Amino acid sequence: MNCEVCQLKELELEHFEIREVLRCLLHTIVFHRALGLVRPKDVDLELFDVTYVQCGEAELEKKIDEKIEQFVCWVEKHPNKKSQICLSFYELKNKQASWFSNKIERLYWEQWYINLNVAQHPKVHSSKYHHSKVGDPGEGTLEDRNARSAALEASLREVLFQIIKFVNEKKDHVPPIPNLEGAVSFPYEITIPSSSDSAFGMDMIKRMLQTGHPTMLS
Amino acid sequence: MDLHNNVQPELGKLEQIVYQFLLKCLHIILDSRVPLLRPHDRSGDMSTGPRVRRSDKWFNLALGDRPSALDNLHFWHRNLMDPMIIDIILVHEVDGSSVETVIERWLVQYDCPRVVAPQTGDITSSYKKTYQKSIVLFRALYSQMRLLPAYKIFRQLSTASHTCNFDIIYKVSSFSDPFSRAEGGMMEEYNFTPVEALPGRLCISVTYRSTLSDFNLECSTSLPTKIITDYVGSPNTDPLRSFPASYKGIRATSFPLRGIAPPTSVPLERPHSWTCGFHKAAPFVQNHPYVGSPPVYRGSPKPYDFPTPPTDSYGVRLQNLRMQNRHKSTSYDEHQLSPPFSPSPSPSPPTYFSGGNPMQTRLRSETAPVTIPHSVMSKSSRNLSPNFSDPSRNSLPPLSPRRTDGSFQESPSGIRSFRKLEASRTGQKFVRDSKDDSGRFSGLLSSSGSPRIGFSRTSSRLSFQDELDDGDFSCAFDVDDVDPPEVQSSQNAVGRSAAEITSTSLPMGKKSQDAAVGVLVHMLRTAPPLRQDPSCYSSHSPKADAEPEGGIATASGFFMPRKTADALEELRGYREMRDLLLSKSGNRILNKHEA
Repeated sequence: MNCEVCQLKELELEHFEIREVLRCLLHTIVFHRALGLVRPKDVDLELFDVTYVQCGEAELEKKIDEKIEQFVCWVEKHPNKKSQICLSFYELKNKQASWFSNKIERLYWEQWYINLNVAQHPKVHSSKYHHSKVGDPGEGTLEDRNARSAALEASLREVLFQIIKFVNEKKDHVPPIPNLEGAVSFPYEITIPSSSDSAFGMDMIKRMLQTGHPTMLS
Repeated sequence: MDLHNNVQPELGKLEQIVYQFLLKCLHIILDSRVPLLRPHDRSGDMSTGPRVRRSDKWFNLALGDRPSALDNLHFWHRNLMDPMIIDIILVHEVDGSSVETVIERWLVQYDCPRVVAPQTGDITSSYKKTYQKSIVLFRALYSQMRLLPAYKIFRQLSTASHTCNFDIIYKVSSFSDPFSRAEGGMMEEYNFTPVEALPGRLCISVTYRSTLSDFNLECSTSLPTKIITDYVGSPNTDPLRSFPASYKGIRATSFPLRGIAPPTSVPLERPHSWTCGFHKAAPFVQNHPYVGSPPVYRGSPKPYDFPTPPTDSYGVRLQNLRMQNRHKSTSYDEHQLSPPFSPSPSPSPPTYFSGGNPMQTRLRSETAPVTIPHSVMSKSSRNLSPNFSDPSRNSLPPLSPRRTDGSFQESPSGIRSFRKLEASRTGQKFVRDSKDDSGRFSGLLSSSGSPRIGFSRTSSRLSFQDELDDGDFSCAFDVDDVDPPEVQSSQNAVGRSAAEITSTSLPMGKKSQDAAVGVLVHMLRTAPPLRQDPSCYSSHSPKADAEPEGGIATASGFFMPRKTADALEELRGYREMRDLLLSKSGNRILNKHEA
């Protein structure tokens, strides 16, 4: 079974927009892949004129929110970096017992990459960005902010269209729906960048070489 | 096209899938585009909602109750091979006339070739795949419905339908006229990937207007959310006046009073407030809030939605409310048409109502029941003799305090009974309070009608006795139980004023209700001096500020000693005078006798 990969269009956003955008994208993808019985739940974004759909499962919502919080923490520690969140769906296969392991293997059949570019200005504490839509001196005028926000909304819509298009066009690789209770029919995994990420590690080495002293690892 | 040859046993299954597919499509599209068909909110929580119906479980997408229009699908869509065309039509105004424009056209079809190749392979597994892919397709469809431009106006219409200048309707058919070139130029197309349903495939596509900004679509939301919070009185003073919160954004803003509000907080610029008439001692206005709708207040929260903008826009709002509630029960309309603040028979100052006169006349014409109280009031005023006899008047409850609240629950007779109570309450309020407080003054009016008041009025020398009697009345303002008369006695200023008030308010049958209300206003206005009474007694003047609080709270227990002491002093004074006079006259007598 092949693994379909979908790289979503990169979104440029600010720190205070991360949670809403990520919630929107992650829930939308899961909604299209949680093929058990759902009662769809419409959610309106506060920052943008966009409505997305959730599965309406509390546990799912909680897991997604936890991951988003982890990601936000990571972003605060690594400002001004392009980041990627990977949402993967897999099947569990019992690997034949070999001499070194008998573990259950994960066969990924679909991977979604959410590409974000979080613009974060230095010397400004992240909490200030919460709900603040007033222009900061370091941010430019209010018009710039509005224009940027409108551009992000358009990009977000594009990404949502992209998701739907991908879901539409590629259906053959989706495994049969198991008879499980609940909406989420396939196991999934949300991966956020971490200190063990190889790309991050390279960045750290580069920085160490440039600055001459190690920065704190998270 | 002949399906029967090789798929005969599975024909039913395929038909069933195709039929349910069409049904689900229609359900999703109409649910997301036509507000009136939506039976419930999209809360989405599987755990708390009711159990999903079996028919709703198709394609693992539970949408809730189906609109009834869908139940007749099999009637007009006999042939499942025919396309199902759903037109979402925007009804809007252009130059005063109503225009219908197709903003979305959905085409759902089971596309089957004319010549069917012989089926090979496992048909059942093919249907399973079809079913699974349909599930995914419907997820995509559901999401897409929320991304297309028409969703925004659908939401506007759903939330504020009565203030929108447009509407959305739909049309389902098996054929449709193609779009004109001009129309087609403004439309975009989106095709969902067809789902294999051997021997054919299930297709969904949409042609939609890429932008709706060309239409002058507006939903004004300012009016419905207007909340007037400064109406007379405070909710805290009357436990009955608890209004339910926003019904579709419209808060109850009128009917501030259920009893008699203190006059201090009357906003004079509110022409629809009954308090305008209140100042002029017009009990009709005071009672109007209850005329058309005593049951309303105890019933559902809907009838509270009476707006009170003191502008001419009220008519629009009323109309809007009517439109909004066209689906609601008739009882609501009925209440709506009988607003509480039509002051028709009251001698209220015209200035207060100048802003709303057109509304007044309209309301007056619509509120026929409102005029009834006038006659009832006049009749009931006659009834309000101390005996409260004349039960034949109507089914009025006896004028005992414990019935006053209960009478609210009554039906049409309750309207009049309540009004009579209201009329009586104006003069009897303090009486009722005192009864509640002390348990003594049931029918105080009758009992204290003549002897005491007359006594207090006539005798100035026997002021101590006056004070005793006045003290009885002063207990109306006290919270504690009334003490025996010899102890409670004098609360001079208040007692006297209370006595005056009671004396004037007693003959309810004789004086007008207006006077009674005015008297009560006066009484309430003089209530504050209760707190200042301690300051009248110089011996306690340093504590004058602090004491009133405690004085009022502990009522007679606090005031009594001083009053008694004063009275005793006065008594002593008079005794001395009497002794003096007697001694003088006695001297004379003695002198006479001696002489």
